[in-house]
Amino acid sequence: MAETDARASATTPVIAIEGLTKSFGANQVLKGVDLRVGKGEVVAIIGPSGSGKTTLLRCINFLEEYDGGSIRIDGTEVGYRDGTGSRKRRGDRELAAIRVDAAMVFQQFNLFPHLTAAQNIMLGLMKSRGRSKAEARAIAEKWLARVGLAAKVDALPSQMSGGQQQRVGIARAVAMEPKVLLLDEITSALDPELVGEVLAVVQELAAEGRTMILVTHEMAFAQEVADRVVFTDQGRIVIDAPPAKVFGEQPHERLRSFLSRFVGFRPNPA
Amino acid sequence: MATLIQTLPFLVDGLLTTLLVSACVIVLSLIVGLPLGCVLAFGPLWARAPIRLYADFVRGVPILVLLYFVYYGLPAIKVNLPSLLAAIVALTAFKSAQIIEITRGSFQSIPTGQTEAAKAIGLSLFDRFVHVLAPQAARRFLPPFVNSVVDTVKGSSLVSLLGIVDLMLSLQQVIGRTHVALPLYLIGALMYFAINFPLSALSRRLEKRFV
Amino acid sequence: MANYHFNFAIVWRYAGKLFEGLLLSLELAAASIAIGMAIGLVLALISLDGPKWARPLIAAYVEFVRNVPLLLLVYLVFYGIPSAIDLQYDAVTSFVATLSIYSGAYLVEVMRAGLEAVPRGLIEAGKSIGLTPMKVLWHVRLPTAMRIALPSLSNTYVSLFKDTSIASAIAVPELAYGMRWIETQTFRTVEVYLLATPIYLITSYAILLLLRLAERRYAIAR
Repeated sequence: MAETDARASATTPVIAIEGLTKSFGANQVLKGVDLRVGKGEVVAIIGPSGSGKTTLLRCINFLEEYDGGSIRIDGTEVGYRDGTGSRKRRGDRELAAIRVDAAMVFQQFNLFPHLTAAQNIMLGLMKSRGRSKAEARAIAEKWLARVGLAAKVDALPSQMSGGQQQRVGIARAVAMEPKVLLLDEITSALDPELVGEVLAVVQELAAEGRTMILVTHEMAFAQEVADRVVFTDQGRIVIDAPPAKVFGEQPHERLRSFLSRFVGFRPNPA
Repeated sequence: MATLIQTLPFLVDGLLTTLLVSACVIVLSLIVGLPLGCVLAFGPLWARAPIRLYADFVRGVPILVLLYFVYYGLPAIKVNLPSLLAAIVALTAFKSAQIIEITRGSFQSIPTGQTEAAKAIGLSLFDRFVHVLAPQAARRFLPPFVNSVVDTVKGSSLVSLLGIVDLMLSLQQVIGRTHVALPLYLIGALMYFAINFPLSALSRRLEKRFV
Repeated sequence: MANYHFNFAIVWRYAGKLFEGLLLSLELAAASIAIGMAIGLVLALISLDGPKWARPLIAAYVEFVRNVPLLLLVYLVFYGIPSAIDLQYDAVTSFVATLSIYSGAYLVEVMRAGLEAVPRGLIEAGKSIGLTPMKVLWHVRLPTAMRIALPSLSNTYVSLFKDTSIASAIAVPELAYGMRWIETQTFRTVEVYLLATPIYLITSYAILLLLRLAERRYAIAR
């Protein structure tokens, strides 16, 4: 049984997920997931690998097709035309338009290696938001300055450190002004000394009131930045509660054993 | 149709010449290329330098130019080779350079840890080569080598330009007499294909298996 | 060797012929690789993303061309096809067509390998910023694949440059043809080869060097 702290958001939810199921062959990775995220909320998803947390995130951006249930962003069903009986996958153009509402930041950065930092950001602005080149350039420069990379505007990804690349990755996603920002283990591929600079940027975005869902292994960070922490296990959401409760009481045996693996992480119940 | 069938024995004669030239070139270039390739992989600098120079020189020039050079160029300095021999010499010069490269590459792609491990268990230079390096190199050598046999058969068609009646020239001659061009070219193409395709397929299988 | 009297002066008079031949060779190779790349790219995309029934057809083209001598293909296109159907073209057109078809068969593999080596994550990043599949192809997959394929493309260009010598068989006045022509005019065989061979050598390695420099600037490691 899920002990869900259904902290209904005051406003209508930006993301509403109901009964989401997804299988890879015989392996069902999502077994009916319900999740609501309100405007301005920051939700951290934690859980053992294989628990379905990354798949959940990728479904929201429709990088994975889901088998059953629904995902709505601001009331719009993500991957399929509405109609409960026979679902129909949306066309490529529709999908492209909907995908921008939920921009993803990837574990491996996935910067376009042939484009400079600014061009990485400009591509989506020009080709899917229809901005002019000059506008796109201005927006790219603004965001690169925001993430502390004003000096790297014309640098290629290969000329940047992992931390710098990931900050460009974040800038590329927020510059699209998505309704929700999806962060998929964005510090897992970084050297430990570069993690801080990336998390600092995320923290700032959270403080601005941006809606975010982040999959992370940085427990201390989740505790600090998230409004809610969601613990997934074996394809289900087991706990959905404020960080103080998740990290403090740990009534759930699976959660306790999961957290015990993070050596050195001392939950701060305050 | 009947004329086409009548021409077949003539084409088969040409095909035999093609196969003979290719076989000679392959065997001779293995004899030349394998040892030189080993020297290029393991030898001292003074021995490596001329081999590298030779391989790079030959690979920078078209085969056709090498053929012309041996057949038309060498007689000017009183080296007169009959056309068949000139063709085999020129094609061997070219193929040897490739075999040298393939041999060197096969040895050099073996991780240095293999040699170190062999040294660590006290194998002599000879034993290291015979029991550790050569068997591994052979697996890497085979796929590109078989591919290069295909190239040899294809490249042997250039000997027709020296007047040697291989499959290519016998085709041209038959076409000159019968004026049936397209079907005969296609028959010729199929004959080359029949020899080469199994080799190409073999090369791919070896590659999947070994690499 | 001792009693051979070199006479470069006579040969030198025809040097212009060699230079023109060299230019034509480079042009033939450039035109062929451009068309061959287009063929290779389209067929690679079809075999990756297209209908299943197209794959054996593409494989048949690739296998046929790769297992038949280039010289035979050159004759087939120049003599064979016009003899069977009512179509006229000159030797240069004929040769460029042949070399394009020939290189296309090799470049399908190069392009497919390039496209397959584009990391999935880049395609997802493209989707994530709202690009349609066509835009992802044009702005993400193609530029990345081309850069990955660059080293193979450089090698292909050099080998096509050398293959242009085969055009001399249908009297296209490229470098090898110019070489043979001067030889028959002057009978100074050794001098002609002493002059022409370095032209091939230097050009081959100069092209390779230039393309390697370009690779260092643009190529993306796999």
